Amino acid sequence: MPPWSDFEPFIVSGLALGGVYALSGVGLVVLYRATGVLYLAFGAVGAMGALIAWSLGRENVPGWLTWLVCIAAAAVITLGYGLIFGPALAKRDPLVKAVATIGLTLILYGLMDLLWTSSGGQARSESLPTDNGGFSIGQIQVDWTQVIALAAGVVITVGTGVFLRYTKLGTAMRAMANDREITATLGVPVRKVEAAAWLGCGVLAGVAGLLLADLAALDATTLTFLVISSLAAVLIARLRSITLTFAAAILIGLLHDLLTPITALSNYQNMTPFVLAAAGLLVMSRRRVMTQSREEA
Amino acid sequence: MGADLGLRSTAGRQTSRRRPGRPQLIRAAVITVLLLFVLFGFPQLLSLYYIDTMTQVAVYSMVTLALGVLVGRVGLVSLGQVAVLAIGAWVAARLLFATAQPYPVILLEAGLITMVAGMVTGLPALRLRGLYLALITLMLAGAITVVLATVNFPNGGHGFLGYNGSLVHIPPIRRPSVAGSDPAYFRYAVIVAILMFLLVLAHTKTKPGRAWAAIRQSEPAALAAGINTTLYKLWALALASFITGVAGGVLAGAVHYLYSIGFPTQDSITLLAVTLMGGVYSMWGAVVAALLYQFLPALLNNWGVSADWLTILFGLGVLQVLTTAPAGLADQVPKDLARLARLLSRLLGRRTPAPGKTT
Repeated sequence: MPPWSDFEPFIVSGLALGGVYALSGVGLVVLYRATGVLYLAFGAVGAMGALIAWSLGRENVPGWLTWLVCIAAAAVITLGYGLIFGPALAKRDPLVKAVATIGLTLILYGLMDLLWTSSGGQARSESLPTDNGGFSIGQIQVDWTQVIALAAGVVITVGTGVFLRYTKLGTAMRAMANDREITATLGVPVRKVEAAAWLGCGVLAGVAGLLLADLAALDATTLTFLVISSLAAVLIARLRSITLTFAAAILIGLLHDLLTPITALSNYQNMTPFVLAAAGLLVMSRRRVMTQSREEA
Repeated sequence: MGADLGLRSTAGRQTSRRRPGRPQLIRAAVITVLLLFVLFGFPQLLSLYYIDTMTQVAVYSMVTLALGVLVGRVGLVSLGQVAVLAIGAWVAARLLFATAQPYPVILLEAGLITMVAGMVTGLPALRLRGLYLALITLMLAGAITVVLATVNFPNGGHGFLGYNGSLVHIPPIRRPSVAGSDPAYFRYAVIVAILMFLLVLAHTKTKPGRAWAAIRQSEPAALAAGINTTLYKLWALALASFITGVAGGVLAGAVHYLYSIGFPTQDSITLLAVTLMGGVYSMWGAVVAALLYQFLPALLNNWGVSADWLTILFGLGVLQVLTTAPAGLADQVPKDLARLARLLSRLLGRRTPAPGKTT
């Protein structure tokens, strides 16, 4: 077992990673609750935005503008998908809706590989100016991007909680999570509320893509499939609670990074989200009630 | 295209139960001729590049067949089949390096060990349904991929894992003595695939097939009808794992060298996409899916077109399959069946004009 000081830097990076997972997870949960769609293209959309931002950055477009474009691109793609395929698949099983977003993932992934060739191409990197500044707590160096990542996770979680609790739109979303038909009957403009959820999720995907491109790597494959890690957090929260999603995401990020100094386990650190999610799901599915309803497991 | 193929074979099955007469004989004859052509014509006609590609198609037709059984017959969506294939290939490679057993025995062992592995991990997962089951298979596949990346595929080293990182000369994984050359191995792979298809056919035509159909329709209803749903779901999982394991064994011999980067988790996702596109309700669908998955990339590669276009096509295909059959293919197939029956009766039977009767 390595000394404690070896672990210290990884607490910070783990928290930052967990923050982004939390932010992604909250986006996924809100969209799932409002529309019944588990948006598996979350990572791909973020990656697309980040790559567009990178290309713009090379054309000497100012940084802040590229970030905005990144977020906007992710939001537009997500909203577009939601407007076209949301209503078409509204009455289908959640599984079908989720698999359909795999279709979008493949389209985006193919496009990204085509336009920003990964094999043989030069390694790309996106670095935010916040990487340079920072401060230190004791021995640990903390840069502002890491602070922003964790803060974004906290702010988005709390903000979404407040939004769902106290605003009209949030209430409508919660109503739709319970029953889409009854909500529509009560005069809630279901399509508009869904569109809002799609847009929100898209914005979060863009933010997550931008942060992960900096924290992890600017690479289509990595970013596209990093969503699986946030998915793990969402699964532990059973696609329901955003507080639990946040806790699970932080736990996954922390555990993942804290395994790095332990040489016996560091090869397996990428298993963290999978193992936690599998264990979480299995433990929580012990008492299964068989129903005919859509809301399963 | 997938739905059309699926529909034809189901139509054949429906009629065959009633009157096993001429249509079925014709169908059997056509399939036999087709298979003979594939077995003896292909090695003569195709270049070595395409023979190797078609061997891959044979291998992956088993994988998509197994996934088709899970998704189409039982309604269990798995997002982790490539990991299962990797387990099969790993076990076969390890056994091939360690023992001098004949190849068919190795294939059987690889299938059985993969089956046990699949059942052990699958049994707890089967408590979940629908979306959650699909996601947990994705998680398990991710975990297996990470382990494989660390453990590596056997390369003739010693010990349980059979991997020696410092080996300079890596021996190739051996092939059966009767099928050393590429064309011979292609035939070998096709014959193994045919056996696997027959195995699935034997299941779907008998009690398990009916139980799976009931479970796919409604699990509570199947339970109420006295079907042991856990048993039959586990059975399907075992069958699918076995077939995928055997496919892994055939793959090991086909490529000679195995690397863990050859089995990324995202391939499982693409595999589900092509299986859906090919059609999960028919065994032809598995062949179509394998052609989409292995033959098309080879073709495009030969033409110098980027395989990324194919990924985009698969994405569009998934969306198309899922949206144009609004209540699911399970609902669409009987509808198309009825339409086909109407069409057939109009074409074959009484040649009544009956224009008013059309939908």
